[in-house]
Amino acid sequence: MARWGMVIDLDKCTGCQACTIACKEENNVPYGSPEENKRRLVPYWNKVIAVSNGEYPSVNVEMIPMPCMHCDDPACVQVCPAKATYLREDGIVVQNYRRCIGCKYCIAACPYGVRNFNYKEQIEEEYHRPDLAPDRSVIGPWPFPQRTHGVVEKCTFCFHRIDQGLKEGKRIGVDVVPACVEACPTRARTFGDLDDPDSEVSRLLATRGSFRLREEMGTRPKVYYLSK
Amino acid sequence: MPTNNSSNGSEREKPDGLAISRRAFLGVSAGAATAFAASRVMKRPEFSLVSPPDVNAEGIVTEEWVATSCLNCPTRCATRVRVVNGKAVQITGNPLSKFSEGETCPRSYVGLQVLYNPDRVTSPLKRTNPMKGKGVDPGWAPMSWEQALREVGGRLKSLRAKEQPHKLLLLYGLNSTSDEDLIQRFASAYGTPNVVSGEGLENEAAKAGEWMADGHYTDSAHDLERTNYILAFGASIVESQRPLARNLRMWGKIRRERPNRARVVVVDPRYSVTAAKADQWIPINPGTDGALAMAIANVIISEGLYDVDFIESWTSGFEEYRDLVLGSYAPEKVAEITGVDADVIREVARGFAHFKPAIAWRGRGAGCWPNGSYASYAIFCLNALVGSIDAPGGITYQETPKYRDMPQVVEDGISGEGKTKPRLGFDKNAGLLAEGVVTNQVADAILEGSPYPVEVAVGFGSNFNMSAPDTTRWDEAMAKVPFYVHISPGLTEMAEFADIVLPASTFLEGWAYEQCPPGSGFAEVKIKRPVVKPLHDSKPVAEIIFALATLLGGDVAESFAGIGNNAEGFVRYRTETIMPWSELCKEGVWVGPDYEYHKYDQIFSTPSKKFEFVSGNLEAAFKQSGSGRSDKLALLPHYEEPKFLGDDGTYPLMLVTYHPLLDIMNGNQNYPWAQEIYLVMQGQGWTSLAEINRKTARSLAIRDGDMIWVESPFSKVKARARVFEGIRPGVVAIAVGQGHWACGRWAKGMGVNPNEIIGVDYDRLSGQSSFFNTRVKAYRA
Repeated sequence: MARWGMVIDLDKCTGCQACTIACKEENNVPYGSPEENKRRLVPYWNKVIAVSNGEYPSVNVEMIPMPCMHCDDPACVQVCPAKATYLREDGIVVQNYRRCIGCKYCIAACPYGVRNFNYKEQIEEEYHRPDLAPDRSVIGPWPFPQRTHGVVEKCTFCFHRIDQGLKEGKRIGVDVVPACVEACPTRARTFGDLDDPDSEVSRLLATRGSFRLREEMGTRPKVYYLSK
Repeated sequence: MPTNNSSNGSEREKPDGLAISRRAFLGVSAGAATAFAASRVMKRPEFSLVSPPDVNAEGIVTEEWVATSCLNCPTRCATRVRVVNGKAVQITGNPLSKFSEGETCPRSYVGLQVLYNPDRVTSPLKRTNPMKGKGVDPGWAPMSWEQALREVGGRLKSLRAKEQPHKLLLLYGLNSTSDEDLIQRFASAYGTPNVVSGEGLENEAAKAGEWMADGHYTDSAHDLERTNYILAFGASIVESQRPLARNLRMWGKIRRERPNRARVVVVDPRYSVTAAKADQWIPINPGTDGALAMAIANVIISEGLYDVDFIESWTSGFEEYRDLVLGSYAPEKVAEITGVDADVIREVARGFAHFKPAIAWRGRGAGCWPNGSYASYAIFCLNALVGSIDAPGGITYQETPKYRDMPQVVEDGISGEGKTKPRLGFDKNAGLLAEGVVTNQVADAILEGSPYPVEVAVGFGSNFNMSAPDTTRWDEAMAKVPFYVHISPGLTEMAEFADIVLPASTFLEGWAYEQCPPGSGFAEVKIKRPVVKPLHDSKPVAEIIFALATLLGGDVAESFAGIGNNAEGFVRYRTETIMPWSELCKEGVWVGPDYEYHKYDQIFSTPSKKFEFVSGNLEAAFKQSGSGRSDKLALLPHYEEPKFLGDDGTYPLMLVTYHPLLDIMNGNQNYPWAQEIYLVMQGQGWTSLAEINRKTARSLAIRDGDMIWVESPFSKVKARARVFEGIRPGVVAIAVGQGHWACGRWAKGMGVNPNEIIGVDYDRLSGQSSFFNTRVKAYRA
């Protein structure tokens, strides 16, 4: 069984946010309003954050793309009282909307702030993709095109793509990648099996210095960053 | 507009499971809670690998990928659009495009919201309120296409019947290459010399800089893939500098996809996204880029680091240039002008000459000044010093596809006579070199009615009421035009002044061909084809032009006969000689032969047939106009102190503006995906901010988040202050693209438009608008 992970090269990333928009496009994640934006109620399964350090003229702003880290020891899973969020055997942290009771413990527990609460009924846009659904028997009804309000949502590593790709015998990480990886114009993102020494992610991690966010929390995230 | 899928018969019920109440599930999960800790890793149940996905169950009835291209910025990337059940649901890059290696940028992804924008015009509109002005309700009344075209055609016809076709003014913003060709052809057949594009606002000085040196009046193509060193002067190459998607792709490539990582140095008073990603940021005094370039040349020449072979064989005027550079631009002296340490200048110069091949890139920040052409000439000459002209990893010469030629327009006496009339906007000083695009002076020409009044104007997606300095002039000018027809998908600010609005389709609904802007060297053609049927009651721009030509009849109609007869036919007619039609439709792109370097005996169109450090082209232009300077210095790249609008006592700060990546360049910004993450460096959306250094802010008692007035001698805007370390003290930076007062629900009233307070000035040579030489003051509101 593979253990899916992502490597993001911060030397290549230019903060263009193609990932952010491609994710919304792929997963029918709604946009917000200026008011919701101010109150931080807008869901992003992936967002680029900017972290500033230093003083003029030696200022440094790091732009860091933030998908779900898909931790091997996820804090969200530990605190979920409804067993709505769990770790798949392939390492993807999944949210089951049918089980979620909307208590938001996971949002509070997540050290990365990548979980979102869906506050409102979804407006159905013409450009929403009508399909999606990985295997319904596995994770239950997938809320597309209509989403369920009152539940917590997050990045799925586009596991509908992975599951479908596996069924069709495609190479994951090569022929099939999450939407954010596909969209990245600088090709800063790489997706693949961390346990496979021949995968591109393993190769990158072997050849470059990398770090993970908040490693001291012991969450063992599977999103790695290659530094400048 | 329909809000669900019912219109195409694919309506579906909610998935069954959601009907189960949440409470019922709570019971289930509470029961399982004891086993919870042990089973955190859930085993994936077995499922059948043989059963194919039941596509119909997922709601897919029809699905196809359509190869087309983007038009949300001038880069015009090749894309593919996934169309499910007749609706576009996804946009990606076209892997067959070599220009950006199959990638595209987030501006393309926003295309879906451009297409399905709820604030699009749904039918032709007629103005019922004769009053025109900013904020005045036009009182739109819907009308039929037949009626609208008859009315517009009638006006055009009567102007021509009066033998005054030159009093028609055509304005255009961002249009596809084929639509631009049709607009130009229409102007020529009709008989007006007045075709004005938005190009003239921001890009002319950069073009003039290259023209002075090698005779090519164009943006430069940069061979990014093979370069080792990029020195960017006011060019935010991964934020807004075209060709954006190509720059982004190549950025990834040159940083980490080859053994030697390219070095990037950014010269800019603002810590741009590019500066943040670069190896070195050099905050420079605004407007002094030309001086810095000359000082870098000083170091390269005095230390003997230049490419002797190239200089000796393929340049002329090097001695004069050398004497000027060595005599007047010592690093210590230039350090005082630019605020950049002499040591930093030396280090950059040595790096630039050492890590060859290197590129000196001149951008908007260096060129949008009264001295812009000379600054961009000075920067461009650095490329020649290190032999980066038509060489791998240096400047290349963009090849263009060979379309099938159109027959000459049929000229009757009226159109021939009309075209000889003086062009609007050229009775001023600026624009000695420009080939007809002193865009911002056209507003003056309309207001003054000089050299003749405009009777009818037609705007193709233009929005100069937002994008040109001193926007109020354009408001007054457009209010004065007796009959204005606006053609665009949305009701932008300029559309608010129209007498008739014709709803144009977006770029995803019509036929067109595109060629890439300078960048790749090799040629590439992209096609646009309807991804979906035109929504609402809209028509593609090309169809509107063909319809108007037919209505006008006579020689105008004849000029449009035999070139395909309609939009699709026209695109086919022009491109068929390049690639078989069915293949082009299927693949979406045609890529030309590989670029060949070192064509030194062909590329220089200068009097000496060499790269010129003393511009013979400029000398000839000065002579021809009779108004130019005749001294030697005027023919050499040099630094001139920029003249500012406003005195530095009353207005102590300098204003710089910039295009964020998500500034969608089609004249509209009514797209929530772009709006909500507009300013990535500031982590904010739906607004623009007045960015100001902490030291400056403290001296003005301004705190982060305060509302402040930014006031120039001409006007003032109220913006939220952002105290930011990434900006030179004494400078205020405001992003453009916001501050709309029309356009729709997601654009109107968000942020401010800095162009409202910028004064009117020009680069003397190219006629480009000078965006950066307006002084301001800032104080708490």
